[in-house]
Amino acid sequence: MASVRALSRPTRGLPLSQISRQTTSACSRRWASSQAAAAEVPLEDLEDSALGAPPLSEEEKKTFRPWKRQADRKFALPSGRYNYHAPKYDRGPLHPVQPLPSSEPTARDFVPGPFNLPRLRQTYLSTVASDLMTLTYNHIPPGTPKKPTPQRLRQWDGSSPYHENRSLRAPRGAPVLPLLERDINFTNIPEIKEITLAAYVPAALQDMDNLLVARAALLAITGVLPEMTKTKTNVQQWKIRAGEFAGCKATVRGNEAYEFFDRCVNLVFPRIKDWKGIEATTGDSSGNLAWGFTPEELKLFPEMEVNMGMYPPKMVPGCRVYVKTTATSDRQARLLLQSLGLPFFGEVKN
Amino acid sequence: MAKLPTSGLQVLRRPTTATTLPSPIPQTQLRHATFIPRHRRPYKFTQLVQLSDGSTYTVRTTSPVALYKSAKDTRNHILWQPTDKSLRNVEVDEAGKLAAFRERYGRGWDAEEPAAPEQQGTTAAAAGTPAQKAEVESDPFDSLVGLISDFAAGTTSNTAGLSAKEQAKKDKGGKKK
Repeated sequence: MASVRALSRPTRGLPLSQISRQTTSACSRRWASSQAAAAEVPLEDLEDSALGAPPLSEEEKKTFRPWKRQADRKFALPSGRYNYHAPKYDRGPLHPVQPLPSSEPTARDFVPGPFNLPRLRQTYLSTVASDLMTLTYNHIPPGTPKKPTPQRLRQWDGSSPYHENRSLRAPRGAPVLPLLERDINFTNIPEIKEITLAAYVPAALQDMDNLLVARAALLAITGVLPEMTKTKTNVQQWKIRAGEFAGCKATVRGNEAYEFFDRCVNLVFPRIKDWKGIEATTGDSSGNLAWGFTPEELKLFPEMEVNMGMYPPKMVPGCRVYVKTTATSDRQARLLLQSLGLPFFGEVKN
Repeated sequence: MAKLPTSGLQVLRRPTTATTLPSPIPQTQLRHATFIPRHRRPYKFTQLVQLSDGSTYTVRTTSPVALYKSAKDTRNHILWQPTDKSLRNVEVDEAGKLAAFRERYGRGWDAEEPAAPEQQGTTAAAAGTPAQKAEVESDPFDSLVGLISDFAAGTTSNTAGLSAKEQAKKDKGGKKK
């Protein structure tokens, strides 16, 4: 092997016709592999070694000009490797060309990571989760009959024969049923699922730059490219027409959500003037809590203040923050967020 | 240019009849290709965050600053460190000017009323009263204990607090005064 390499290196510079001739230069060469057995015992162990090759002569050095060959070459060489490109389109399960799963590093929708285990998540896994489970343990003696789940949908009175087999009606006022609270056990310890930041920018209807700034701000804060949102309804007084871009939202999940929450609690909330805490009345009674940031408060994020020159001061939006947890009630969610360091104030609602 | 044999083309063409109508349902299965987009995400730097007490930890952020030193955070905020006396807002009135002002104009100009020490004693004595419960809720760390103990007892009622709208109204009213 060594001899082949040694041969190829000086001759690479030569034109092809010269190599094929193999005249004097090849014969005068010392064939390293044949002599190595006798003379250079340690080098024998190295299989692919060019160390046994003789040094180049002055003449050979002059002819060895790879850069010249590179410059003279008319066409690009084919790449040395087989470059696989994942298919750009998903053409359905019956198509012979199938897209790669997103876990594959060559897949188009592959996202590398995770690159760290956030501090708050470590705290959650090591202490908070087990504490929540233990401290909220509610002992039910074995043999206790289960409480029947209350029927929360409205039933038909049966006054008409057409009521037969009709589906039940939603409760008055609210089309969405809030979750029924479940006891915390080892299978359903509440945790933060995702956090959504939503900025409504009605000024974008007049000047689209507002939306651009809002997008850049949410992108910097969350590290996720925000999604544009549209207005839902026509409101004459507010000069709003339905279906126009007037806001953006960004959702962080998993580790990023914990990291964002950690940043809010540890770095942003303490810097807000006269901050009392989150209002305890927040919540959708299904374990999702929310709060808001004014434009001034949004500027306190380290990602924003490091590059404040990028955002026109009057265009920085406020935003709403929705923390979605796997808790099944607001008090469980509050318990989780309190144990992660978020203070609440005021009277609790549910 | 060779001339195409027209007769051959006619043979190849399938005979069409006017009676067969095109079906509204596509005869071949139609499945459009779905574009698989590449994820668009900003570069994230590893940043070292130093809290005000000197403790450090790393985060992944879009901010390119390698070290973020925070001046105000949970470690030197009264809300998270309620027992730290150095963080309390204590009046320094060595010259007695504030006392003189109060003697003349009353306490109406004070920002916040200081909590009376005797009030705490009474609440501690009367355990289980709604007043004590309210006080427990106001303290962020005791409320955690209260919430947990309420969990076991099942005493937290759904109608205890105000609605968000009422709370906001109440807060607004308080600010105006």
